[in-house]
Amino acid sequence: MDRRKFLKQSSLASSLFFVPSFVRAFEEVASSKLGYKRLVIIQLSGGNDGLNTVIPYRNDVYYKARPTLGIPQKDIIKLNDEVGLNSSLKPLKRLYDKGYLSIINNVGYPNPIRSHFRSMDIWQTATDANTYSQSGWIGRYLDHYGKQPHSAIEVDESLSLAMKGEQFNAIATQDAKAFYNLSKDPYFKNIHKHKNDAHLSEHNLGYLYKSMIAAESSAKYIFETSKTVTSKKEYPNNKFGKQMKTTAQFINSRIETKVFYTSLGGFDTHVNQLNTQKRLLSNYAESVEAFVEDLKDNNTFKDTLILTFSEFGRRVKQNASIGTDHGTANNVFIIGENLKKQGLYNTMASLSDLDDNGDLKFEIDFRTIYATVLDKWLEVDNKKVLNTSFNPLDFI
Amino acid sequence: MKTKHIQHLYRRIGFGILPATLNKLSKKSEKAIINEMFESSKKFTPLEIDISELTAIYSSIIKKESTLDSETRKKLQQLGRKKQIEFNIAWVDRLTNTPEILREKMTLFWANHFVCEDSTISYIKNFNNTLRKHALGDFRAFVNAVSKEASMTKYLNTKQNKKQKPNENFARELMELFTLGVGYYSEEDIKESAKAFTGYSHNLKGDFVFRKARHDDGEKTFFGKTGNFSGEDIIDIILEQKQCAKYICGKIYRYFVNDLIDENHVNEMANVFYKDYNIENVMRYMLTSGWFYNDQNIGSKIKSPIEFIVGLKTIVPTDFKNPKQLLYIQKLLGQILLNPPNVAGWKGGKSWIDSNTIVLRLKLPSLLLNNAYISKEKLGEVDEYAQAKKEAFKKKYGKRFKTVANWEYFNTQFKNVAISDFQKHVLACEVSESAKAYLQSLEKVSKKEYCVQLMSLPEYQMC
Repeated sequence: MDRRKFLKQSSLASSLFFVPSFVRAFEEVASSKLGYKRLVIIQLSGGNDGLNTVIPYRNDVYYKARPTLGIPQKDIIKLNDEVGLNSSLKPLKRLYDKGYLSIINNVGYPNPIRSHFRSMDIWQTATDANTYSQSGWIGRYLDHYGKQPHSAIEVDESLSLAMKGEQFNAIATQDAKAFYNLSKDPYFKNIHKHKNDAHLSEHNLGYLYKSMIAAESSAKYIFETSKTVTSKKEYPNNKFGKQMKTTAQFINSRIETKVFYTSLGGFDTHVNQLNTQKRLLSNYAESVEAFVEDLKDNNTFKDTLILTFSEFGRRVKQNASIGTDHGTANNVFIIGENLKKQGLYNTMASLSDLDDNGDLKFEIDFRTIYATVLDKWLEVDNKKVLNTSFNPLDFI
Repeated sequence: MKTKHIQHLYRRIGFGILPATLNKLSKKSEKAIINEMFESSKKFTPLEIDISELTAIYSSIIKKESTLDSETRKKLQQLGRKKQIEFNIAWVDRLTNTPEILREKMTLFWANHFVCEDSTISYIKNFNNTLRKHALGDFRAFVNAVSKEASMTKYLNTKQNKKQKPNENFARELMELFTLGVGYYSEEDIKESAKAFTGYSHNLKGDFVFRKARHDDGEKTFFGKTGNFSGEDIIDIILEQKQCAKYICGKIYRYFVNDLIDENHVNEMANVFYKDYNIENVMRYMLTSGWFYNDQNIGSKIKSPIEFIVGLKTIVPTDFKNPKQLLYIQKLLGQILLNPPNVAGWKGGKSWIDSNTIVLRLKLPSLLLNNAYISKEKLGEVDEYAQAKKEAFKKKYGKRFKTVANWEYFNTQFKNVAISDFQKHVLACEVSESAKAYLQSLEKVSKKEYCVQLMSLPEYQMC
């Protein structure tokens, strides 16, 4: 459905009246009984050091490359005889034990870019390293499959490029009430009382009016739907914890939103990395565990998939300041109840076969993960969103 | 010249026009007005902020009096961030108060054409002033200057482009985004032209340096020509393509005339531009064309966030007590100057508008200028609680935006404007039927309250 059509339908909600009742009945079944699948994206900004997150603790090369930064075997949470997790990821280990976690190693893209800005841009727009796009992958998903502005919500105050489409953008809100308050001045309601005004069809002005009407209705919908639920779960008391709590509240209110976008920053650990990363990972893992439990308590976890990524990993060798410099491939976490491949999806990257910069050579293109999520979870045609066809993987 | 056309002209080549200036100009001919406009933009005033503290650190490193240890690095980063904010604010101020209106608007246009970003303030300041310097000049010299800017050689990796290991980033974007547009060159053209730009680099001060040892001075075949081409030669060959003139004129047209292209008009412009690639000439052609003032081009564009902010400040001068809030608003509206999304720049037009930005745009004038209050007093009624409401709003939203609006200036400027004429000074397009009916049912409490009402309409988003 294109934007014009859906706006027409959403602003003329009364047109539902004319839909034969059996069609409506079918739609209700479709949305409530068959499961309304949602995707939650967590962006770790700054380039998380994947090698100190998922650790090849039996690999001598790892300890040789990181004499003071390598994590001692005794501190590692072991997943198997080769691989373990950073000690701050205990909550994640519990999810792993329940079969809720799939770790995809060595994810990247050809001709890697080591600039935060540009590499994040590539991850968000899902383009080749030498192509620049003005739309993001979730935005293009909305272009083709979005029904309302709130079909995708970024739990923040403004939108990332990932959430902007060619014709259609998601909504950013971290405070549904504040957003609603901003939109509900009666002045705005009164200026568009006549819905069939000729100006609604005008090129740009009509678009402004329609956007205003759609925004008012989405702001009201998000606020009124989400306020029916309050979360009793304890989350870490910080920005990311709050983001995850708000996201859980949205999901548990059964809001009709397909994609949520959240982020946690600070991973650019060039200097004295150990403690900084530990603190960040622990915040991540505790928030995610609380989030999963919150959803489970409300029976929404089974229809939720969580994807965690960072714009790049870091160099294998530590630097002179007990930190790491920008690298390439990294791990991606998939969290959900019905994973096809639980635990480690693939083996870890080779630490001896590196590129000219001393960085990992990627194995899995991140866009095949997007394609998998689009095809198998959101059940749409990934080619329409990614513009190129990628073969899906089989973690779900 | 008709007042309606003067207003249109000033909304496009600037950020609007105040009644007194409009009155003065309306007695003049179109030719005189446009001549004066170009005349006042002849001058070039670089945008400066004080970065002496930073340069002192750099020069002591150059002189080897100190080293770039992690503490110095951190200090440089912090200072740099602070100065970026300062430069952003200085730029917005410049846009609000400048006699070189057209040059500044063109600078803003080119900043979203030759898109660049750099955390090194001295480099990006130079880059920004290069845009300003060439804004109305010779496009060939402009492209060459941009290709040699420190910020650009960093941003698109020309610095890393070496004979032994070419980096094609700049060559690709030079053609795709800066001169020809997608589809008018081959992958082979990119490979070959990248060789010509090998060796482009800069020193610590930010001056262009040509590193001969890294330059590939072998033969290159580009657009069917073969030779030992330099970067300048490549730009010459690109400009020989008529497509380059067409591409640039299309962009100028979308920015200054209408985001729906009229092929005939763009072709007319391209014919003028292709002759000498003189930017002033093609701008003059466009601004004196009858079609520029066609009704369908008036009030038909959606303001960019910067046009929205500066336009608002033009009518009611507004000071931000905490300048960072000005950046915060830019962020929320989706356009932070000096901080583009990527080298493709901001898409513009409709893409400025989404649920978040439309809600904020409608509410922002009242938030910034009137304690979030939009008068809804019915005809003949008095809202006794208006003042109380404002106080309450002030408490609620005051923390978010601390601004001082200079309504006295507004009142002086609009003193002689009849309330019945007021609307056309604030809005660029006709008001929709339902908004018109609603406004007519409301009391015109004062010009101030009426101004806030008009600025709170979707129509105010148009220019």
